[in-house]
Amino acid sequence: MLSCDELERYHRQIMLFGEAGQEKLKSARVVIAGAGGLGCPVATYLAVAGVGHLRIIDHDTVDRSNLNRQILHWDMDTGRAKTESAGKKLQAINPDIEIEEARVRINEETAPGLVRDTDAIVDAMDNYPTRYLLNHLACKFGIPLFHGAIRGFDGQVTTIIPGRTACLSCIFPKAPPKEIFPVIGVTAGIIGLIQANEVIKYLLGTGELLENRLLIWDGLHSILEEINVERDQSCIECSQLQSDPMEKVK
Amino acid sequence: MIVRIKAFARFREIIGSENTLDLDEGTPVLGALKNLSAGSKDFRDACFDREGTIASHVVLMINGKRISGRDRESMVLHDGDELAIFPPVAGG
Ligand SMILES: [Zn+2]
Repeated sequence: MLSCDELERYHRQIMLFGEAGQEKLKSARVVIAGAGGLGCPVATYLAVAGVGHLRIIDHDTVDRSNLNRQILHWDMDTGRAKTESAGKKLQAINPDIEIEEARVRINEETAPGLVRDTDAIVDAMDNYPTRYLLNHLACKFGIPLFHGAIRGFDGQVTTIIPGRTACLSCIFPKAPPKEIFPVIGVTAGIIGLIQANEVIKYLLGTGELLENRLLIWDGLHSILEEINVERDQSCIECSQLQSDPMEKVK
Repeated sequence: MIVRIKAFARFREIIGSENTLDLDEGTPVLGALKNLSAGSKDFRDACFDREGTIASHVVLMINGKRISGRDRESMVLHDGDELAIFPPVAGG
């Protein structure tokens, strides 16, 4: 049941998808892997939309060089744990939702416990080895993975529904080289908000997701393009998957 | 024959969005990208690894269809083809 406060807070979006839709958001558990450039806008907009439980994972502390894009971390937060910095702001933005701060490094040991009880995994990481690990677990547990990545004015975003769409390994079998990437905050905002929009649509079961579609944003020319991707029949992660986890839920 | 090169992200910064190459009939993908490298060290560094093969993370498509696997370099291009090159980004 939604409280009077909640009915008021979410009035303008209940006009869009009804109280039933708002209940779906409220009962959802979403894990956001990374409280950096992508994680901050994703978490902010899922929080204001009323997604009931957000688990924010990051092991890092706030550095002054993060502040050009990681909008939940402010000048006063340098040196503070990113999870704590983000958690405080998110809770202040929306006291009606649960924010879980998980200050841990995502690795093979920690990751399964961090994602398995959730409805959606948001990839807000800055490296492919961790992304592949999240993708592996998304495929294993049948949880959708919302991928985003950025560099400079460029970004890419797609939605992975294990068993139904290409997974991250199908799309990117080989990781690009590691680098200290240049980036402007607006790119993180644009890509992060597309990810958040996808999560919200998925939870509501409305609209059309970025399934087998890799969206490519070119901020220098303001062009949004789309590449069609498909499942790799020999993919090490997802070629064994037959069932459709979304069908099971329905 | 004329082949169009559609570049994304960093490749677009280096060589521009759309390029046309006038190549010999039967030129493979590798030949087309070597042709672009000849004019730009930045492009060569971004597209090829140290051994001179197309970097494994670079996504290639001919006429919108993904080409992958070991033999992708040797796939032959035809007049009017569009070769798309996309370097995935990694930051977050
Ligand atoms: Zn796959």
